Parts: sequence; C-alpha cells; structure tokens
Amino acid sequence: MTLSNLESLTASLHPLEIAVVNALSGSAETTDAALAEAAGLDGARRDMACGWLVEKGIIECSRESVSHTVALTETGQRYAERGTPEARIITLLQTGSEVTLANLAELLELDQAEAGTAVGTLKKATIVTSGAGGALELVPGADLSAVEAVTGLIATVESAGRLEQSSLSAEQQELLAGLHRKRGKAKGVFRVDERRSRSYLLTRLGMEVAQRVAGRVTGDQLGQLTADLLASGAWKGKAFRRYNIMLKPARVAMGRKHPYRQFLDVVKAKMVAMGFQQMSSSLVQNEFWNNDALFMPQFHPARDIHDAYFVADPKHSRPVEEPFFSNVAAVHANGGGTGSTGWNYTFREMQARRLVLRSQGTADSAHKLAEGPAVPGKYFSIARCFRYDQVDATHAPDFFQVEGIVLGHQINFRTLLGLLQLFARELAKATEVKFLPAYFPFTEPSVEMHARHPRLGWIELGGAGLFRPEVTLPMGVDVPVIAWGLGLDRMAMVALGLHDIRDLFSSDLELVRTMRMPV
Amino acid sequence: MPTITVHQADVEALLGEPFSPDVFEEQLALVKGELDDFDPKSGEIRVELNDTNRPDLWCVEGVVRQIRARRQGRGDVYPFFREGRDTPHELIVDPSVSEVRPFVGACVARGVTVDDTLLAQLIQTQEKVCDVFGRKRRSIAIGIYAAGKLAWPLHYKAVSPTEVRFVPLGMDEPLTLAEIAAMHPKGQQYAPIVADHGRWPLLADNAGTVLSFPPVINSRAVGEVKVGDSELFLEVTGTNLRMVTLVVNILATNMADRGARIEPVRVRYPEATEFGAEVTMPRPIARELRVELDAFTRALGDAVDADEVARELTAYGFSVRADGGAVTVHAPEYRDDLLHTVDVIEDFAIARGYDSFAALMPQEFTVGGLLPIESLADRVREHMVGLGFQEVLSNILVSREELTDHMELHGASLVEVANVMSASYSVLRNAVLPSLLRVERESGKAFYPHQLFEVGEVALPRPDAPMGSETRTQMAALVAHPEANFSELAARLEMLSYYLNVDHTLEPVDHASYIPGRAGRITVGGVSIGLIGELSPEVLGHWGITVPCAAFEVDLSALLPG
Repeated sequence: MTLSNLESLTASLHPLEIAVVNALSGSAETTDAALAEAAGLDGARRDMACGWLVEKGIIECSRESVSHTVALTETGQRYAERGTPEARIITLLQTGSEVTLANLAELLELDQAEAGTAVGTLKKATIVTSGAGGALELVPGADLSAVEAVTGLIATVESAGRLEQSSLSAEQQELLAGLHRKRGKAKGVFRVDERRSRSYLLTRLGMEVAQRVAGRVTGDQLGQLTADLLASGAWKGKAFRRYNIMLKPARVAMGRKHPYRQFLDVVKAKMVAMGFQQMSSSLVQNEFWNNDALFMPQFHPARDIHDAYFVADPKHSRPVEEPFFSNVAAVHANGGGTGSTGWNYTFREMQARRLVLRSQGTADSAHKLAEGPAVPGKYFSIARCFRYDQVDATHAPDFFQVEGIVLGHQINFRTLLGLLQLFARELAKATEVKFLPAYFPFTEPSVEMHARHPRLGWIELGGAGLFRPEVTLPMGVDVPVIAWGLGLDRMAMVALGLHDIRDLFSSDLELVRTMRMPV
Repeated sequence: MPTITVHQADVEALLGEPFSPDVFEEQLALVKGELDDFDPKSGEIRVELNDTNRPDLWCVEGVVRQIRARRQGRGDVYPFFREGRDTPHELIVDPSVSEVRPFVGACVARGVTVDDTLLAQLIQTQEKVCDVFGRKRRSIAIGIYAAGKLAWPLHYKAVSPTEVRFVPLGMDEPLTLAEIAAMHPKGQQYAPIVADHGRWPLLADNAGTVLSFPPVINSRAVGEVKVGDSELFLEVTGTNLRMVTLVVNILATNMADRGARIEPVRVRYPEATEFGAEVTMPRPIARELRVELDAFTRALGDAVDADEVARELTAYGFSVRADGGAVTVHAPEYRDDLLHTVDVIEDFAIARGYDSFAALMPQEFTVGGLLPIESLADRVREHMVGLGFQEVLSNILVSREELTDHMELHGASLVEVANVMSASYSVLRNAVLPSLLRVERESGKAFYPHQLFEVGEVALPRPDAPMGSETRTQMAALVAHPEANFSELAARLEMLSYYLNVDHTLEPVDHASYIPGRAGRITVGGVSIGLIGELSPEVLGHWGITVPCAAFEVDLSALLPG
C-alpha cells in the first residue's frame, strides 16, 4: 500500500472505527467484551465497526470461542422463590397432612403434570411411597440429598443471575444437564444460552493505520454536516471525515410500475399516436359476441368445450340485441343476403347466449362494429383473454391480446399491408417484413406478418385481414374493415429476459423488483 | 390446425421434381402451410396446415396438388367427376339410418398397390379429416377396405345393438355392437356418438359380411387394408351429404394422383336428397361464382384485368371463364370452401403472391385516445408510484378459496367456470386485494417494507346485467412490514384522494377480513367505493403471511361520471 493510499484510508475511517483501532492499539489479542469496554461502545456498534475494519483488512478475528451461560427460566425463578415441587411435597408430608396424588396439585397450587412428575421423581428416589387409599407417605430415613442439591443449584444460579456453565462443579453440571434435558424447553428450570465470543488483533496494515490514528482525537473530524453546525459555524477550521464512497449502497424499495404493464403502456401510447381510439368490453361474453358475430359456425372445432371456459351460473346471457341477433342467425344459416352461402345449418339461440370467458380480443371489435363506429375510424383494445389450456411455460391462465380494427373507404389489401408495416416499424423497430397467407374464420384475405426485429431476428408479429362481409354487414357496417391482432407477449418476454410466460404475471416480488427493460 | 408428416421421396414422386426444403417452404405459402421440421436423414417433413376450411390440403397429395397446379399453370383434370356415369357398384341405404347417421358415400380405387408409405398416408389422412373436419367422427367417418372380398351391392342400415355380431379390428372374438361399445377401445371412444339411438349403423355386403360399424370400427374380415392390396373400397359416413361427398371427392382425387383408376359407387337413398335419390360418387359439388373485376380491384387495391385474373386463378386450380367485366369461376371438386366472392379474391391474391402487392399507408385522418377509465387508471398508477408503491400484475382467473375462505368471506357469489381444468384457476377475481396477498405470501424473503398496488379488472355477478356479470376496474394497495398499520395507509389514501380531486370520507365498518375497529368504508358523495383496514390475524394466517398488513381497495369505475 502506498503512503497516499494509507493516508486516505486512515482519513476515511468512521469515528466508530477509530475508537476500535485506538482500543486495540498497543494491546495484543482483545476479546470483544473487553474491546467494547475499552472503546466505550455498545455491542451492536462494536460489531458494526469490527465488521467494517475486517472488510478493510485493518483488523482480523484471531479467535472465535463458544461459551455457555446458565440462567433461571420463569419456572426456575418460581422454584427459587417457593421451593421445588419435590422439596415442597417433602415439607408438606413432614407436617403430617393427608396427601394423595389427587389433591396434591390443589394443595400446592401446582399444575397436574408438574405434581405428577415430582411424585414420580420422589418415588424413584425412594423418598415417598403410596400407602393405603393412595395416600403418599415419607419413607423414614430416606436420603434427601438429591432434592437438596437441586435446591442448592437453583439458589446458586439465582444469586449470580447468570453464570458460566464452566464455573459449576462436575456434579452440578451433571445435575444441570439432567434437569435441562428432562424438563424440556418450555418448562425447564434452567436456560442455557450459547454465546459466541470473538477476539481481534490489528493486522500489519492495521498497525500502520493505528500509528496514524494514534493520539488523534476523533472529535477533530466532522461526521454528518448538521443544521446546528451550519448555524453555529462550528464547522470552520475542521475537516470532514472522508467517506469510502466505493462501498456498495443498500437497496431501496422504490415505487415503480410493473415492467410488463410499462411495456403495454408504450404500446398504448403508440396506438394513440397512430390515431387509434381505445375500446373495451366485458370479461364475460356470450358466444354470440365471442364467436357467432365473427362468423365462426356453431359447429366450429375451435368452439369446443375444450377451447373456452364456460360460465357455471348463469349459463346464458339475456337475449341478444336486435337486429344483430337475426342478422347473424341469417348469415350463418344461408348468408342472409350478404352474397354468402352461409354455413348452411340451423343457428341455435341458446348456444349464442351461452356465457364464456372472453377467448379472443376480437370480441371487443365485434361489439365496436355493432356500436356504430366512426368512418374513417381506428380502434384498439388490450383485452384480457382466457383459453382452456394446461397452464405451463407457454400458457398463462389468462393473458393480454392487443387487437383492433380500421374502417374506411380507402381500406383494401394494400392499405392493410401498409398498416402492418407501420406497426412493425413503430412497435418492433423493424423495417423488413414478410407477409404470408393465413387463415382466420372472420377475415378474407388473411395475412400473417413476420418482422425482422433488430435484436430478436425474424418474429411472427401478428395476424390481420379484411373482415368478411358476413361479419360487417350484419352489424350495419358497409365499408371495408381491417381486423388486426398483434402477438406482443414474446417481444415483452425477450425484452424482460423471461422464458416463462407465467413470469409476466409473477407473484414473486423479488422477480418483479428486479425485472427491467433495456434502454 | 392439422400437422402432417410426409416423406421427401413421396413429395418428389407426386411433384415430379427434386425436393428442396427452401423452395418447398416458399411453395407452402400456396396452401397456408408452414414447414415445421425437415430431417434430411430420414427424409421426414412436418408441415402445419392453417386453413381449417380446406381438408383437401391436410395430406401430402393435396399439398403437392396445389403446388403442381402452380407449376403447370393449371390444375389436373379428373374425369371421374363427370356426371351421369354408369357403374356396376351399388350401395343401398336403408330408411333405418335416417335418424342416427343418414349419409354414406363411396368409391373404388384400383391399380395402385398399397405400400408402407401409402398405408401410412391413408391412415394419416383418415385421422386428420375425421378428427378436425369430422369433429372426432361426429360428422364424418372414413372406412377403407380390401375391395376384392366384397359381394355387391352393399347395404347401409341401422340395427339393434345386440342383433349382429362380427369380429372387429384388434379383437379375435365376434362381438355385438353393444359389446364393442363397452369393451373395444374404439367403441369406448366413438360409440357415444350413436349411443343415444335405439339402432346403430352397420355396413354389410350382399352376402351378409359386415364391413364396419360406422363411425366406430371396421371388421377384421374385410376392413383391414394390408401392404400388397391393390383394390380399395373407400367409404364415408356422416350427418351432412355435402360434407360426405366432399370427403369422397378428396379421397378419390388423392388415389388418382397416385395413379389409381377410380370407379364410382351409386348410392341409392330411400328418398330424394339434395343431390337426388341416386347419388353417384365422386360427383361435382362446386358452385360457380361470378366475381366482378371491380370487386378484385376494390378489395385488393390494385387494378386487375380479366386475363391476369384468369391466368392466376387457373394456376390455382380453378376453371375460369372471362365474361365482360367479370369472371365466372368453378372450383375444383375437392374444395367446398368458397362461401363468398371474397374467398375467390383471396385465392387470386395468394396465387399472384402476397409480395406482389405494394404496401400503401392508410391516409385517412383519425384522432386517437384512451378510454376514460384507462386515463383514470393511469393517473392513479402515477400517484401510487409517487407514494413509493411497487405495481404488480396478476392473473385474474384464481381459486375460489383465495377470494372466500382466505379472506374470511364465506359463500361470496362469484363468476365461476363450469368446465374447471384446475381448482387454482376456477373463478374470476371479484377483488384485487387477494392478488396482492398472494404476492405477499410468495415474497416473505424479499426485503421489507413491501408497498404493493395493482389496478385491474374484476368481475362481479349481476343477475340482471346482459352478461350476468359486470366488469369493473379496481385498485388495491397493501403495505406489509413489522409496523404496518391503519394510519400509515389512511395517510396514503388521503394523498391519493387529494390529487385525484376526490373528497372521500371513512366510516367505521365491521368486515370479516379486517381487525374490528380498524376498518373503514371509503365513501365518495355518499356512495361506497371501497374499504380500508388492518388485515386480521386470521386472514394473514390463512394466507401464511407473517408480517402485519394494512390495505385498501377502491372501485375506480365508480369515480367516473355517469
């Protein structure tokens, strides 16, 4: 260590550290108890200062020992005041009272278990026997030394308050071990505590530091600048203690938005910036808005019991509003004058009214079409959706879908591609995109967009299409409508360094606190 | 969405050119397919097909057929779709099937010897079509037989479940239909489709030999196709004649693509169907569609002419007639997915290639904006963060226990799922606070203090609401640390109210989740919008939380005007 480093190390010492270094200098190994006294510190401050100094290599822990101290428990304290149950039983019997196991507890105000244990001990030591009718009797000439030894030990510990176990005689230690063990923790007479004691030494570096510290009054250096110091001007002519500014500071629990929510906030802001109005609908939908209005036939495989969550009670919604119900029923049955053949089956009202947990965000778009959207108009929703899937690393019990529609006289396949390109640029910073034919029951033509993300490479960013006339006309909308949906979960997961979709909704606060977005 | 496994050699044989994974992957755009996997060692290719309306594409023959048409500039011609052909093969339908499974169709394929590849592909096609298009055989089931053993005509009828015995595939003993339903694995799986009916379907030949018990199982005698067979009888039963015909057409086309000679089967129905009383299959089903050229231009945004449209659609397998300002198209007979002219327009776009369309930015001006509840929620979130709270985000499909017993709120009415997959995800949450308590339970090791909040949707049962429940947006906040208490949180709520410009009052309330005397009802303008309090030791105990917690929850929806 260079001289200047040594100087600055010395200068940066905390007053507590200086006190400890002073207390250690000149002496050899010092126990922590002695150190606390010499430095005038309580145990907690001493340990804190020693911890810092060990870290800096100024002192070292030269010895660590474990000792045991003995004290009375509450029970022990009571026995010290009133006598042990064994001693009190002997005294009671010596007065000639009629005593049985049954009335003993009451006579001596003991609890039943305590009384029973004491009588058992006395019988085993052949001090007491049971006579006729269960009456307890003293054995004449019995040896009472064992009982007296316990009383003696209790008195010894009581007068000392707390004493080192090692200071007891061998017999006393044996007796202590027996009582400690036999009585268990709660009802024990003695409490034995383990104490760790450390001894410290200055290191070679520490000795050099100590030389520089020696004789210096710690009060010469100022610690925290205070309002009083400022007011009195007492800081003048004094030096401020130098801090070790390279210590890693403590963590702070700061207020913060959830990182996935924050990601969705960005999406939201982008949507609004691109001219989209937010829309929403309820978590519980009937199949009419969830599927029928989207021209998914009631016998469609994806409408199976195995794909959506159905509501237990009530099972059905109120009747679906007209003219939407009749229009959609006709479109399914025979095309309903939309130029379509329809699906050619009998549309069932009760199935249309069956309640489900929203399985696709497009349900929100269907409601919007029926509400009479603006033309031209752009809408988006961030909808919580539910699918009947085994929950695993790629399936959360519920998840968000970012979906929407665009209505206008200019809407066609080419403007659809333009919109998707805009999304790719705004949401994934991707200028390179690929469009592939896709299938969705409610759009034709349908397209799937892959985009080259600057960090993730090619990703499937979303699906879109032009709503079929079978979807728009029954809702009274007669302009072309783009329907689009974006798959943003994967982008969010990669950005957050997650590999399990369930972590987006984690209940682990440590994980939530440590997740962060790259700049 | 079906995924099929096909073989490189088979693809090359059907396509008539060498296979290249890159080229094949691009060609799959024509069938809305994705190349999932290609193993150059085994030559095994896995393809996912996305169009649930085109069962003709869920097999190697169909995928290659679409690619081949593109290569050739036109689709292949299949002469067996001509109407009015005569055939020696007849299948007689008995009136007894009309209730249980009314329709059947069939054809015979000769001249192709079954090898391992063909057998595997036949079985795969049968499975994919029956599972997805046929809704697990409910609306379509397929049977394939060695045709050489059959005594014509065949008979399709319904019989009592105990009347007829035969040896089904996979068994050695003759069993009645009822016994098959009870004991045979396929019976247990598929007999429920017909079990509600008194009489069940049976297909037999003129000598009384049973072919099968549709839609359940074939007989071992004639219903087991083996490598080396070269005469196949293919049969389809179902609940809809168009669907049955379509599947017969697909199977016949597939066999023809492999070089088979297709012999039609005349099905005699007891009464007239939409195709008449006598239906000879395969048969044409496609409708002609007339599409204005303007409709292409309007939908696609590019001006098109009749030549281009005719050229591209022909190369996609259509027969096309240009007709003034319109084209009239006739789809190939193995397709029945054209419901509207938009379907033809999409096929044109796919045939021409999506990358041939230049993207055009939508120009119409619109004003963006958030819903009032979203703006309010965002403001609340800002304030909560300012107050030092960490936002969390939870799943809202939860367990009943967490919302009721854990909160000391027994028997609360909830939006509950009927088809529960796991009790952990069986009800929609009716409050946000339990989600925060779940975080606290999982996070005893995260350093304290914990100050949590979440803004999110909850569902409340409302019998008179259109959907039987109402979705509302609520916010809950929780503090957990050794000294967490009511006043600490009440002070935060006070600040939040102040900055939202809301005047709230607290009224003492007894609530089972909170310590008596330390809970309040939050009211604004006389309307209750939430609760605040110290959570009771019982509640903390149910959750297994070992530090004191104070919390409040407010219904943000109630703060919006109207």
